[in-house]
Amino acid sequence: MNYLILGASSGLGKDLAYVFAKNFHNLILISRDDRDLAPIKSDLENKFSIKVTIYKIDASSKEEVTEFLNNKEILFDDLDGVLFPIGMMSNNDNIKENDKNADAINNANYLSIVRFIEKMSPIFEKKNKGSIVGFGSVASSLGRKENVLYSASKRALNSYFESLSATYSEKKITTQFYILGYLDTNLSFDKNLILPKASTKKLALKVYANINKDNILKYYPKWWGIICYIISIIPFYIIKKTIKFIK
Amino acid sequence: MFKKKFKSLDKRHTADIFLKRPDKYREIEILTSNAKNLITMGSGKSYVAASFKKDNLSLQFSKFDRIINFNKKDKTIILEAGIKLSDLLNFTLKHRLWIPQIPGYPSITLGGAVAANVHGKSSGIHGSLRNQIKSIKIFHKTHGWLNLSENEHKEIFELTIGGFGLTGTIVNVELKLVDIKGNNFTTTIEKVNSARDTVNKLNINDLDNIFCYSWNKTNNKKKLGEGLIFKNKINENNTEISLNDIGHKTNKIHQYFPLNLWNKHSINFFQNIYFNYYNFYKKKIINDDLKNVIFPYAGKETYFHMFGNNGFIESQILVPLLKVDIFLDELDYNFKNIAPEITLFSIKKILDKDLLLRFSGEGVCFTFDFINNQKNIIFLNKLDEICIKHQLKPSIIKDSRLNSDTVQKCYKEYDIFKKTLLDFDNKRIYRSELSERIGL
Repeated sequence: MNYLILGASSGLGKDLAYVFAKNFHNLILISRDDRDLAPIKSDLENKFSIKVTIYKIDASSKEEVTEFLNNKEILFDDLDGVLFPIGMMSNNDNIKENDKNADAINNANYLSIVRFIEKMSPIFEKKNKGSIVGFGSVASSLGRKENVLYSASKRALNSYFESLSATYSEKKITTQFYILGYLDTNLSFDKNLILPKASTKKLALKVYANINKDNILKYYPKWWGIICYIISIIPFYIIKKTIKFIK
Repeated sequence: MFKKKFKSLDKRHTADIFLKRPDKYREIEILTSNAKNLITMGSGKSYVAASFKKDNLSLQFSKFDRIINFNKKDKTIILEAGIKLSDLLNFTLKHRLWIPQIPGYPSITLGGAVAANVHGKSSGIHGSLRNQIKSIKIFHKTHGWLNLSENEHKEIFELTIGGFGLTGTIVNVELKLVDIKGNNFTTTIEKVNSARDTVNKLNINDLDNIFCYSWNKTNNKKKLGEGLIFKNKINENNTEISLNDIGHKTNKIHQYFPLNLWNKHSINFFQNIYFNYYNFYKKKIINDDLKNVIFPYAGKETYFHMFGNNGFIESQILVPLLKVDIFLDELDYNFKNIAPEITLFSIKKILDKDLLLRFSGEGVCFTFDFINNQKNIIFLNKLDEICIKHQLKPSIIKDSRLNSDTVQKCYKEYDIFKKTLLDFDNKRIYRSELSERIGL
């Protein structure tokens, strides 16, 4: 089987690549820096004797994504699944300053994924099979002062995957959507967070185990579901008073 | 960025450091360019504080652990420096290839092994890791990306091997691999009566046994060094490659009990049990696997935990063959006078080219582990005096007490190392507690 991973150079994306490779699936890996993809390709090919193709694409750029999706040499028809472990944050993502990064953040977190799925949907429909996996964030459960566009785009993605799941409810096209809490990545490595960080390796194994199942709105780690539920039933005027603490 | 408290493995040095774990190449560049001073950390398992310094940035390199290129025909492999030696062996052994210079713990990284120029228990035959290194790629704050080899920047290439990470971040290493017939071993155990007897029986011309080292008792004031010699050679009758991965449990070795449980009584108890087990109960020739042979500490971390929060001191001294007798005389004299508490005493041969600050040359290597207390430090200071007097080499990467004066007097190329490093990096950007302590 062949899978495409957008955002495969580090963190969860890299761990997904290793789990799929270990199970002998060929891979198309995409990231914005091919210096990071090349060692992953050689490592996976040497260790698991699979075929790995890499592409340097910046998912925050509409033009680069569109050009890639229109590339006739890429064998999209051979793909059995697509995974989108991608996310982009910015230091200036607030109400006043976000105009400079708005397109990039929206593209990387939401619109590029939509474009990929638009490309893949007819292919999967024709085959009447395929797996689509997206990843949201607990940040999208609440408005905030920082990471404004990030959380908004992740909430949009959440809604989009619900629609995707509804669209394919009668077909053998499966959709998974995980809402992620704190993960143990290079970004969180030196941060003193109140709640524990979850392993990206374990999540990758979970995603692989569920690849042929429909799984919408799975929280990872699970207990984030309880926190997000409590947040959802608290009236917003109460949350607003405490929102100054939320970034 | 918040500070993290970090302890050396021997527990003698603790510091609040800035710790970052990049996992992209551009992050190495960004983090390095933003730091005034930094050092790279492999698995953080050096006995001494070689990978950190108070208020410094340490770049934890564990995410760079991939195979860049493998050429089975030429027997070469290029690896990222964060790969653990157990993972390296797990891959190469499947192709009946390996590197024999493996230090005693499986989760040590290749970059750390290069920076310390390690030599395993086969140092009497294979010398140090230097003999397997074809090329190195480093990233330096001022010089950027540099390829180092015999043909490119040779001076910095030699400075980087055994250079304690002071020439920049070791990113990739190209190794020459060696054929291995099988990974099943035959271990021969021989009794020895003293340290001198051990040295005589560690035959310098023995090329059959890949690994050769001793374990010697220290609980008898009158008879230092009664013990056992372990000799490991590949089992010619079982040349199959066992494909069981060599595992490693990360961070377990850094834990410790609240109190020090080593004292003369516990040393006496455990050494007698160990000695009698091998001497009377265990067969003299046994079949062993590679993991047991090369990683004797793996799974026995309790030995380190028992030192408690105060930790321990490891001293390793390289004694040229011609000076072994006089060293043993002085060792014996001071051992009887001071009666230090030594938890481990081991002897092996080293046969390697002597260069810069590398713990290499031709001779016999004596290893001692001490409880960290005043009496033992007095004994260690005596060892320093013996080293200076007879021009012996104490290991910089093992002994966290060594000061600049002792190192300068014992390493004849200290000044060359220091000058070459300063010429390459006049701002001395890459620093650690170790480099400060020995005056680099």
